[in-house]
Amino acid sequence: MINQPQTELEKCQQQAEEYLNNWQRERADFANYKKAESKRLEEFVKFANVGLILEVVEVLDDLEIVAKNNENNEGLEPVLKKFQDLLAKYGAERIKVEGKFDPNLHEAVTAEAQNGSAETQNTEGEEKLEEVRAGYKMNGRVIRPARVKIIK
Amino acid sequence: MAKILGIDLGTTNSAMAIVEIGQPRVLENKEGMRTTPSIVAVGKSAGAGGGERYVGVTAKRQAVTNPQNTIFSVKRLIGRRFSDSEVQRDQKLLPYEIREGSNNDVEVKLGDKWLKPAEISAMVLQKLKADAEDKLGEKITDAIITVPAYFDDSQRKATKDAGEIAGLDVKRVINEPTAAALAYGFNKKKDEKIVVYDFGGGTFDVSVLEVSADTIEVKATGGDTHLGGDDFDQKIIKYFVGEFKKEQGVDVSKDQLALQRLKDAAEKAKHELSSTLQTEINIPFLTADASGPKHFGLTFTRAKLEELVHDYIDRSIELTKKTMEEAGLKVSDINEVVLVGGQTRMPALVEAVKKLFGKEPHKDINPDEVVAIGAAIQGGIMGGEIRDVLLLDVTPLSLGIETLGGVMTKMIEKNTTVPTAKTQVFSTAADNQPSVEIHVLQGERAMSTDNKTLGKFFLDGIPPAPRGIPQIEVAFDIDVNGILNVKAKDKTTNKEQSIRIEGSSGLTDEEKKRMAADAEKYAAEDAKKRELVEARNLAEALIYSTEKTLKDAGEKVSAEERKQVEDKIAAVKDAQKSEDAGTIKKAAEELSAAAQKIGEALYKQQQTTAEPKKEEATETKAEEKK
Repeated sequence: MINQPQTELEKCQQQAEEYLNNWQRERADFANYKKAESKRLEEFVKFANVGLILEVVEVLDDLEIVAKNNENNEGLEPVLKKFQDLLAKYGAERIKVEGKFDPNLHEAVTAEAQNGSAETQNTEGEEKLEEVRAGYKMNGRVIRPARVKIIK
Repeated sequence: MAKILGIDLGTTNSAMAIVEIGQPRVLENKEGMRTTPSIVAVGKSAGAGGGERYVGVTAKRQAVTNPQNTIFSVKRLIGRRFSDSEVQRDQKLLPYEIREGSNNDVEVKLGDKWLKPAEISAMVLQKLKADAEDKLGEKITDAIITVPAYFDDSQRKATKDAGEIAGLDVKRVINEPTAAALAYGFNKKKDEKIVVYDFGGGTFDVSVLEVSADTIEVKATGGDTHLGGDDFDQKIIKYFVGEFKKEQGVDVSKDQLALQRLKDAAEKAKHELSSTLQTEINIPFLTADASGPKHFGLTFTRAKLEELVHDYIDRSIELTKKTMEEAGLKVSDINEVVLVGGQTRMPALVEAVKKLFGKEPHKDINPDEVVAIGAAIQGGIMGGEIRDVLLLDVTPLSLGIETLGGVMTKMIEKNTTVPTAKTQVFSTAADNQPSVEIHVLQGERAMSTDNKTLGKFFLDGIPPAPRGIPQIEVAFDIDVNGILNVKAKDKTTNKEQSIRIEGSSGLTDEEKKRMAADAEKYAAEDAKKRELVEARNLAEALIYSTEKTLKDAGEKVSAEERKQVEDKIAAVKDAQKSEDAGTIKKAAEELSAAAQKIGEALYKQQQTTAEPKKEEATETKAEEKK
């Protein structure tokens, strides 16, 4: 009989410890969560405009195609420049298409041999890239790869 | 406890999620995307010994130039025998080489090596693991991976192997529909029958589940391994090509560049038509012939899209019916229907499912992510991250006090998790006001009379002072049992009064519902009333401060100027009787301008005194209570 209070006490102590432990864990979780959340928010703000930028870029694609296909582009050049300035202002920069094909920056649409026939076989030798749609980076992240035609 | 990563290893795309503070969260990959293409490639440039390895979107981007070494849809092969009819069928469709392995299984050629499908899947898992570690800043060793419900032991084993090759301890392999049900919390339901309708990019799966006493059992599965959202895209592209030919007489079906632009337009249009009824397709200079450039323009309607793909939708519904039959169930036996897969965003598809089952399907959780989320939840349960015992309550309605003009000022917003506490400093509304009444309210309406009174008390003995000067600190504290303590303290005298309200959430569900509905119903009306009271309060404060300025200035103000301002004060007082906030604001603005002129003239060095002082002086930082 005398043992009972002892076990009761032990039970209570155990419980108290468990509660304290859980509470501390919860506080730590929360503190960590707050830190992670503020980091996420930072990231979110950095890329919050991406959706809109990509929509603008799509219109710009069309405009560039028009410019490329028309001989008289009077007045169009400054407009294109304005678009690029606007994008730059929001941290978006055009991906340069040069050197070798790099899937981190480029997306291949077709591969052609010099003579124009479709070519997918392994061949040695220099390949050239031709941009078919501009790619963009924003804050160091590729938001849209440059679409390229690979010419072997 | 280490975090357990939940992975939806899909045929076309994979996704991953984790449980944090008891809540699942989808993790973005290194490229910042929430899904990762299940594609692996080896670049051909490096020649012998194999080139660089690409996984995910980079592998996808180089696929056109390197089709033999770009492995996708390997999930169709994993754990299967080479002689399997499914493998034989797929072999004809896949651009990469496969052969029979020594155990009658399948081997895939990547670069100059022959690999098991599990090794390819392992590469995808490895990327997910690395990206998750990068994102979380900690090592990930444990994972839950999902597989289709129809996967047999060999396929499950191979998937588990893939995880282990990737360096993951696969705690469990669970069924995709089970994961979806978990994401919706249906594991807590008793004796329910659930249908999971999963329309992905390349496959369509339908499963019937039965939940009973903590287990989720798969009763039947069905579907079509070659029916998916990609078929919808192809249908749309074909339609566009046909329309362009009809209009311009040019066939672009062999022109890769033109096709790519049509594909972009098709995908975009498909997405847009989930929320709008029609969309404009405009592609300038799609191609050119001897007669000049050809543009593509088309008004694409939701009705046309539905007409194009209705065969696919009908087929999925037929397959669902068939699966129900196999499970020996009638549609009326089904308690819940869950939608999974990006294609289920299409309204016609939702409608078809709803029509079949006669009930609204669940689609609140992003259908591309619901399986990964369910896997993470399974991990959370196993890892102890999700503790069922500790259920924290929330306040069902907002709590606050009445302030000047009969407005309810909220202290604790509804749906705040308890225990919680908040402190805010208020002040008096009149000069030499000896006491304040703390009228504790509950509800969502703007005016105190429309809310429920929980209690009232007075704090008296406030020393004489002009309005707005005394600082009355009001503290709300709700403990874990929902007991509300409200305390008011005069910060000058430290005199305090408090009230304890038990059962502050002791409203019946009906009452709560009615109050919430009322708040919505009267939202516009309440906002108007509140605006009116606020305008009146502001006008009142402005009159007070202007009169004080005039009095303080005494002779320094010319009679003419004084008269002008006094006229304006009278005008504001008159306007205050109006029921229109605009009228009051306008009169107050005029008074403010007049008062400012005097102020400027009087104290060039000082700021204007006409700035109205708010009677809710400052808001102190809400304190975190232990």
